[in-house]
Amino acid sequence: MLGLFGTLDMGARSLQNQLTGIEVTGHNLANVNNPAYARQRVRFQTNTTIPTPLGPQGTGAQVVAITQLRNALLDRQLINEAGLSAYWQTQQQLLEQAETSLGQQLDRQAGSVSAAGTSGISGQMGLAENLSDLFNAFQSVAAQPASLEERQVLVQKAQALAEQFNRLAGRLTGLQSTIQQQLQDEAAAVNRLTAEIAALNHQIARTELSAKGPANDLRDLRQEKLEELGKYLNLEAVEDETGQVNVSVNGVMLVDGQQVALPLEIYDAGQGQWQVRTSDGQPLPLSSGSLAGLIETRDGPLADALTRLNQLAGALIAAVNTAHGAGFDLEGNTGLDFFEGTDAATIRLNEVLAQNPSRFQAAGVAGALGDNQTALALARLAVTAQPALGHQTFQQFYHQTVTNLGEALAQANRQVKNQEAVEQMLRRQRDAVSGVSLDEEMTEMVKFQKAFQASARLVSTVDELLETVISMKR
Amino acid sequence: MRVTANTFANDLVVHLGRLTQRQNLLQTQAATGQRIRNPSDDPDGMGRVLDLQQEGRTLSQYQRNISLLKEGAQVSFTVFQGLKRISDRAGEIAVLAGGVRSREEMQAYATELDELIKQAVQLANTRHRDDYLFGGTRTQTPPFEAQYDANGNVISVAYQGNADVREVEIAEGLALPAQTPGVNTGGSGPRGLLADSRTGADFFAHLVALRDHLKAGDSQSIQTTDIPRLKDDEENFIYHLAANGVMQARLDTANNLARTRLEGVEKLVSQEADADLAQTLVRLNTTQTAYMAALQTGGMVLRQSLLDYLR
Repeated sequence: MLGLFGTLDMGARSLQNQLTGIEVTGHNLANVNNPAYARQRVRFQTNTTIPTPLGPQGTGAQVVAITQLRNALLDRQLINEAGLSAYWQTQQQLLEQAETSLGQQLDRQAGSVSAAGTSGISGQMGLAENLSDLFNAFQSVAAQPASLEERQVLVQKAQALAEQFNRLAGRLTGLQSTIQQQLQDEAAAVNRLTAEIAALNHQIARTELSAKGPANDLRDLRQEKLEELGKYLNLEAVEDETGQVNVSVNGVMLVDGQQVALPLEIYDAGQGQWQVRTSDGQPLPLSSGSLAGLIETRDGPLADALTRLNQLAGALIAAVNTAHGAGFDLEGNTGLDFFEGTDAATIRLNEVLAQNPSRFQAAGVAGALGDNQTALALARLAVTAQPALGHQTFQQFYHQTVTNLGEALAQANRQVKNQEAVEQMLRRQRDAVSGVSLDEEMTEMVKFQKAFQASARLVSTVDELLETVISMKR
Repeated sequence: MRVTANTFANDLVVHLGRLTQRQNLLQTQAATGQRIRNPSDDPDGMGRVLDLQQEGRTLSQYQRNISLLKEGAQVSFTVFQGLKRISDRAGEIAVLAGGVRSREEMQAYATELDELIKQAVQLANTRHRDDYLFGGTRTQTPPFEAQYDANGNVISVAYQGNADVREVEIAEGLALPAQTPGVNTGGSGPRGLLADSRTGADFFAHLVALRDHLKAGDSQSIQTTDIPRLKDDEENFIYHLAANGVMQARLDTANNLARTRLEGVEKLVSQEADADLAQTLVRLNTTQTAYMAALQTGGMVLRQSLLDYLR
């Protein structure tokens, strides 16, 4: 039997319990907009019973724990999907820049295809137009080999083409330097996050040792950090029995309990190909996350585009110089190179020609200024399959380069869209488990409020009873 | 599935984001009239458009080449006609000289012929766009140079050009000669305009001979030698006039073909790259309606909670 004082005590404990409930509800409401937060619930348990002649009698309830509602599987999946999303988003971002750098946009308002050819002001700034312009200028010189005006136009078109090559190579190389900088920044971010996760592991272990129940809010914070880290690389996070999370990447341990096992660093694997390794010098193979996205875009579509541009410029220089070298200029000279340089970055029109267009070697024989055999041979290079370019013409090869880059970006766009859908679905699923519902919390609050009021009533009733008992003596 | 406070907000943001993206895409398509703007919009389509545009630009260049050739051919035709008129007059004089007895009359014809020779030299040295038309590929020096005697009469006309001609492309793999050589004594290649070993034409030499015979009053030689020789020259001019006509007709045909092909290319580019405006606008309209509906219902749902009904 509890007696009046026991019952009063039970009422007081109940008041405390309901208050804890209200407090947890308040905590949930306060974190309603915190995406890292998992809703918490108070776990009540009936107090120990006491034996009475009537049998075991209850002594009320007590709060045994404040637990959070989380689904570990969904949390892990979200980390993985965040990595994949970041991987594709990084590719998308870089390829968009590469596409813009290439400048091969279509502007139908600027003129028809025929107008594009005649005026050269079609609003398109890509290499395709420059290539056409060069071969058309060869044609024009072939039609009037002795015309200095046509030769001047040819020189300008050739300069424009060379400059466009230089610009494209510069932009794509610049993009690669940006990637290197970004790799460094991201490796630093990874190191910061692993340090934070190790520190949180320490705090969680210490908190959970000294107090009963899980360190909910610290765990929320750690999950948030893990998800952030997951955006950079493909990680495996395994929680041990002490509640600490060990983080590894493809079997390489980055966070071991309360310590950062191996920080990351960036190193030059040769020819400016910066890669990621751990501080013990082991290269770190990455398959997902923005770091992998950066490296794979750089070594994949971007490197491919740059290599193809260099191949194209190299083949163009070789073919044009071979044909041009055999011709004769207006002064009877022969053997001059048309282009100088070896690739897209170094190609430029021979300074001699730039200064004096009459040095262009249009004639196939000496002493016949009206002969156009060399100019015609140069013009016909436009439709000649080049063995160095996989038996494609210059323009076909360039169009293929544009298509390849476009396809890589289109693929990244599709994947980003798919990933968004997957991630959104997972977030909804996690929200369904861990998210705070205002309606639910309000109901909980009303529930606790009513229980609190009822408990208070119990206390006042027992108080009245005690008053009655005390007044019996008077 | 349990729906929480943020599920609505998050979903609404995602839906509105998608609808905004879609509206932006459709609006851009409607404003530019293009389905493809960047290579990533449709990589294969962009590849085909680039091929077509290149073809278009090449065709435009062929059209420019054709118009240049046509211009040259028209100028040449005028020259041929002028030469033919000189040839006709020389023929007339030769015939007339056969029946003339008076030495003075013969002299007068000889003087006229001298002028005709000079006129013919001038015509044969016609320039067009900085090029001498009838010097073969030696286009920068006058192809015909007359030698004069002390009295200023032409004694011979030397050819400075060659028998080569340059060809200009008017379609892929099809090149037409842009010139007529003044003289071809090689027995092969394009026929010489004023002298050709295969036809026996040698206009200047024949004119000079006729003039000399006129001066000498040698009507016998005029009858037996000069008249048949001038006939050869006349036939040679007629051949060139006819060939020029055929060449101009070919150029016209090539130009028509290029134009038709260019129109076809325009059409194909349009099919690949242009947006179907009606369809785009309908889709834009639908998307806008969905966007408004999302905003309206989202606003309604977000505003309400149990809180409104608790006191």
